[in-house]
Amino acid sequence: MKLKNLVALSMTGLMVAGMALPVAAEEAKAGDVNGDGKVVVGYISKNLVDPFHVPINDAAEEQLQAMVDDGIIDEFTGILDGNTDGAKQCDLAQDCLNMGADYVIILPAEAVASDPAVTALVDAGTKVVVVNSKTDSTDDLALTYCGSDDVYAGELMADYVMEKVPDGGVYVHCQGVIGNSAQIQRGEGILNKLDAEKWELAADVPCDWAADKAVNAAQDYMAQYGDDLKAIICDNDDMSSAAQQTCNEAGREDIVCIGVDGNQGPLAMVKAGTLGATVLQDGVGQVTAGIDAIKADIAGETVEKEYVVPFVLVTSENVDEYLQ
Amino acid sequence: MASNNKKKILGMDQDQFNMFMGKYGIGIILIGMVIIIAIMKPMFIKPGNLLNIFTQISINGLIAYGMCLAITTGGIDLTVGAQLALVSCILGQLVGVKGMSLIPACIIAVVVAGLFGFLNGVLISKFDMFPFVVTLSMQLIVRSIAQIISNGQAVSMADPAFKAIYSSKFGPIPRPIVYLAIVVIIMYIVMHWTRFGRYVYAVGGNVNAAIASGVSVFWTKTLCYTISGVLAGLAGIIFTAKTGSAQSNIGVGYETDAVAACVLGGTSFAGGISTAPGVLLGAIIIGCIYNGMNFLQVNSYYQSLAKGVVIIGAVLLDMVMNKKNR
Repeated sequence: MKLKNLVALSMTGLMVAGMALPVAAEEAKAGDVNGDGKVVVGYISKNLVDPFHVPINDAAEEQLQAMVDDGIIDEFTGILDGNTDGAKQCDLAQDCLNMGADYVIILPAEAVASDPAVTALVDAGTKVVVVNSKTDSTDDLALTYCGSDDVYAGELMADYVMEKVPDGGVYVHCQGVIGNSAQIQRGEGILNKLDAEKWELAADVPCDWAADKAVNAAQDYMAQYGDDLKAIICDNDDMSSAAQQTCNEAGREDIVCIGVDGNQGPLAMVKAGTLGATVLQDGVGQVTAGIDAIKADIAGETVEKEYVVPFVLVTSENVDEYLQ
Repeated sequence: MASNNKKKILGMDQDQFNMFMGKYGIGIILIGMVIIIAIMKPMFIKPGNLLNIFTQISINGLIAYGMCLAITTGGIDLTVGAQLALVSCILGQLVGVKGMSLIPACIIAVVVAGLFGFLNGVLISKFDMFPFVVTLSMQLIVRSIAQIISNGQAVSMADPAFKAIYSSKFGPIPRPIVYLAIVVIIMYIVMHWTRFGRYVYAVGGNVNAAIASGVSVFWTKTLCYTISGVLAGLAGIIFTAKTGSAQSNIGVGYETDAVAACVLGGTSFAGGISTAPGVLLGAIIIGCIYNGMNFLQVNSYYQSLAKGVVIIGAVLLDMVMNKKNR
């Protein structure tokens, strides 16, 4: 009897140990930041509709799904729609926490208004990877920032415009959503380089990244300034390509329109010769750098605070490299 | 009268059951939805996430109550999204730039929002203009004023005391839920227990009968739009505290969710029909759709589609049930 008891006891002990073992192993699972036994990656997009963001989201979805398939992570939240709304992104950050996210990739809609999303995630112990543009506390709180130097993009645009129109003239600046760091910094870059003595700013037009508003601006300022209008510099190339098209249709091919992003539409126009140039921002490269940073962090490697993905000026000479 | 009908359903006689279904049929849809999502993703009904949903719907809930009053009088208030931006910019200028203390600034902002609501009401009731036209135009005017006073720039509202309006808690309950609860209670009393509430339903149900009974259509409608403005103003304060940023481009399209919440909650566009609990249920359904679809990992491209289908489906079901009952 006593032997039987002993056997029963030891078997129970073994069973308990056996049950405890996988739990212990799971707790130690690499990348399980919140300790719930699963590695979950959240993805808060800026939006699902901008031509610049669509390929980024697609690339992220593909790479994150591959990580799930490879067993590096257990789940990702799917592509959450930030709707270009800081408040919406704050809600999504809470959703991510409730879904048990260990890492969250966020493409902020706004520098200030999206910041509570980053701080809430970090406060809850989640590691945040900020991609494409910074929020106010990104430098202090985020695991890493993967983006491009938007000031440099503005400078590239200014250089190109000055090269094409050495004598200067009147120019219009079509802005993105005011307050977005890309909008602020690209504007800063333009002012850094553009020769203030030769170039007169007709207006900073708030166009909210939207092509239709840039078309309106192009029409308005062509009507107002006529031949004096020499350039339309836009914070993205949806706007610049639309503005250029408007100018071309009005017989004003001489107006130089340039913007940032390197979307396929504008690239096709560069190829066709109807748009002079565009500044390519490698969005897919940015989000890939962000996902690589998560992989590195899970593998226990060190992650840099910032990864800079360079901008490229695309003209008819190198457009074939980027046009799909 | 149906009171002769002695058939009992769920312990209620036919009349009571009809009224119950008419008022709360949408609640059954909500419960069904929650159960389905919870079975597929148990994490969905964790208390943390439920609190999260209620916190998220607080802004839409506040706006929806104003919208509900406007729709009940037979109108609509499309100004509310722009009101959020205006209030945000007023706070940005008064607190962020001029350094005014919070409470007077918030009062000023809400009063201004209320004034624009009042203006809506006067234009609609005094000059008999179409509510859709008036409030759509006012939306443009209000957003433009927001842009003018903010000069298009975002102002940081990082003061922790201000952000606490959204992010701090009463015990375990996040503050926005408390604000929403207070508004729901007040609106319930106003809509269902006061003379003003009865006037609103009278004006919306049959305006000629209301006039004949001596109801002031002017004051009833004007007050409805003023309340809508005030509620949008309060929502604007919560919104600004949520993001910590005062800017003029916020709140675009927020009237859509408010209208959806009203419609889901049984508010009739024909006027004269709505309930205060219904609007809350409608707002909760919208919140559950947003949150639940993320939990279910519904591809975002399909989410708006799903939202539209759920709204039409829920309203259709509600109408079919009510028709059968009436």
